[in-house]
Amino acid sequence: MSLARTSTASAGQFIAGRDPRPVRIGAKSATALVVATVFGIGAFGWPLLVSRDSGIAHGLDAPLIFGAMLLLVVAVVLALLADGGMDAKAVAMLGVLAAIGAALRPLGAGTAGVEPLFFILILGGRAFGPGFGFVQGATTLFASALLTGGVGPWLPFQMLGAAWIGLGAGLLPAVRGRREVALLCAYAAMACLLYGFVMNLSFWPFGLGPTTSVSFVPGDAVVDNLTRFAAFSFSTSLGWDLGRAITVTILVALTAAPVLRALRRAGRKAAFDPVVTFEPNS
Amino acid sequence: MSISTRTPPVIGGRRRRAGARLFRTRLPTHPMAWWVWALGLAAAASRTTNPLLLLLLVAVAAFVVAARRPMTTWARGFRAYLIFGLVVVALRTVFHIVLGGGYGETVLVWLPEIVLPEWSAGIRIGGAVTAEGLASAVYDGMRLATLLVCVGAAVTLADPRRLLKSLPGALYEAGLVVVVAVSMAPALIESAVRVRRARQLRGTSARGFRAFRSIAMPVLDQALGRAVALAAAMDARGYGRVGSLTVGARRTSAALLLAGLLGLCLAGYGLLDAATPGSVAVPALVVGVAASVIGLVVGSRRMVRSRYRPDRFDLRSALVAVCGLAIAALFVLTEMRGDSVSHPSTFPLVWPQLALLPLVGIAIAALPGIASTPVEPPASETVRGSAENLAVSAITAKGISAR
Repeated sequence: MSLARTSTASAGQFIAGRDPRPVRIGAKSATALVVATVFGIGAFGWPLLVSRDSGIAHGLDAPLIFGAMLLLVVAVVLALLADGGMDAKAVAMLGVLAAIGAALRPLGAGTAGVEPLFFILILGGRAFGPGFGFVQGATTLFASALLTGGVGPWLPFQMLGAAWIGLGAGLLPAVRGRREVALLCAYAAMACLLYGFVMNLSFWPFGLGPTTSVSFVPGDAVVDNLTRFAAFSFSTSLGWDLGRAITVTILVALTAAPVLRALRRAGRKAAFDPVVTFEPNS
Repeated sequence: MSISTRTPPVIGGRRRRAGARLFRTRLPTHPMAWWVWALGLAAAASRTTNPLLLLLLVAVAAFVVAARRPMTTWARGFRAYLIFGLVVVALRTVFHIVLGGGYGETVLVWLPEIVLPEWSAGIRIGGAVTAEGLASAVYDGMRLATLLVCVGAAVTLADPRRLLKSLPGALYEAGLVVVVAVSMAPALIESAVRVRRARQLRGTSARGFRAFRSIAMPVLDQALGRAVALAAAMDARGYGRVGSLTVGARRTSAALLLAGLLGLCLAGYGLLDAATPGSVAVPALVVGVAASVIGLVVGSRRMVRSRYRPDRFDLRSALVAVCGLAIAALFVLTEMRGDSVSHPSTFPLVWPQLALLPLVGIAIAALPGIASTPVEPPASETVRGSAENLAVSAITAKGISAR
């Protein structure tokens, strides 16, 4: 009745030594990623960008409104990425890697700053490309929130932040061997620090309230707000963020080579690139 | 397209009684209805700093959760949200005491003060702790805590995993990834335990990082092997059948989604900048949301799928959602009518007042605790079904008692 045919011409050939791309980024999804990133910069950095007379500068409005909008933005980007082609193999691989991330999350919840989730995210994005990394970041955070009961207004922000980390890991230049491990370590340290910084920034007015001297003042000079934010960060979460950056970097340094080898072997076994199409047998 | 086992199909002359039946049948409340109700409560909380109203809101959430909580392990998490709320209030208070802003004049305690240099942008450590400042910090902390409790109520009442079932088809893959992850995470832990036991049986006694590596790598390899096997199983069962979406519809969907994204982006920056007239931000927001949602709906036809036991949105569910919207509307109205009820003055410090309007809202919000469909104990699921099910359960019960 039907004949399976492997078409290699349409969807990119399997090239030995090149990483597979289970979630391809086309022109539409690339545009969506750029627009979502521009929106994300505003949503995370709103305390520095908001003007004094803006209606959302006070109270709890901004994180809630931006959180709801972010959820829709992430949903749209995921829909466009899925439309570009996400087959059963990509879904199963994403599901398993997200499960590993979600299972690792409780290990880090109690102890200061240990967040092993990011290391599997960075390595997954590295092995399977930026599109895969983006979806892995968003779904891992969502799944782990479901498992640990961490659903809250911060979830859309965490999803976009982790999705950026996976996306960035996939966009790193192609080097192999020791230089690759060194590159990934540097990226891990930077990404973890930045993640902590932007998460803090977006929830600084929300978490602290307006009554202290390190609180957010809407529409104040950027430098003054930044100084207060630095003081707030230093007194609350710097130890946490540094601890996370150090543990993730050490984990990447020690395990990048074997884990990447395992991921790439699984990618070769799954043979993501050739697309199988069924045509009626005439 | 969708098959339901909950309600028998309505045929012929019985159709006119459908309205009455909607109230009589015991459909479980739709998870989306619980989320609308809880977000309405959260919106109400964000519109007030009156501690009495906030306490009443928490009480309403706790009452409805206690009355309508499903009997699953998942639903035991509400207490954690309550504790988290208390922690938030405590943290805010401590921060205010240590880094207070010197607001108010009724000094309670003088703490030793550390003077920082000029460039520190007015940051001060220690100094006077005033009753006015403390009240203001506690009120604001209570508002955030109430908001968290409302989200906790939604999570407890409506399992977010059930919401995944109602996702539009355009997000089917992403939802499926989450479902695979949630169901596979416990299997991973079991796999780790198995590998560890195998190591012990072999008499390996490596410790520290070596032990971690000799457990983690086999677990990872097993998990990846499982992914490839799962993909093969999904392919064999016809997963990923592409629906009847024409090229035109696909392009329309993508164009709508991209337009929606641009609208949302424009609206986001419009909201930040008051110099942009409100007439730009609000229409951009409406257009952005509408285009994104329509794009998702159009793109959903990409997938052909059937649902097992779909959640139905009946009149009782609608009632629950309306109660949430009502309390949000009444609290917004209260805030617009005057400041003293919604935001009691902390300078001078006065006892917070109550008014009829928000109290009516509170009463309406508590209504789902009585009016929504009661939760059934999980055991009745098998008993309540068809005659065959009854027979089967009777036989099993007999078999057990005979043994």
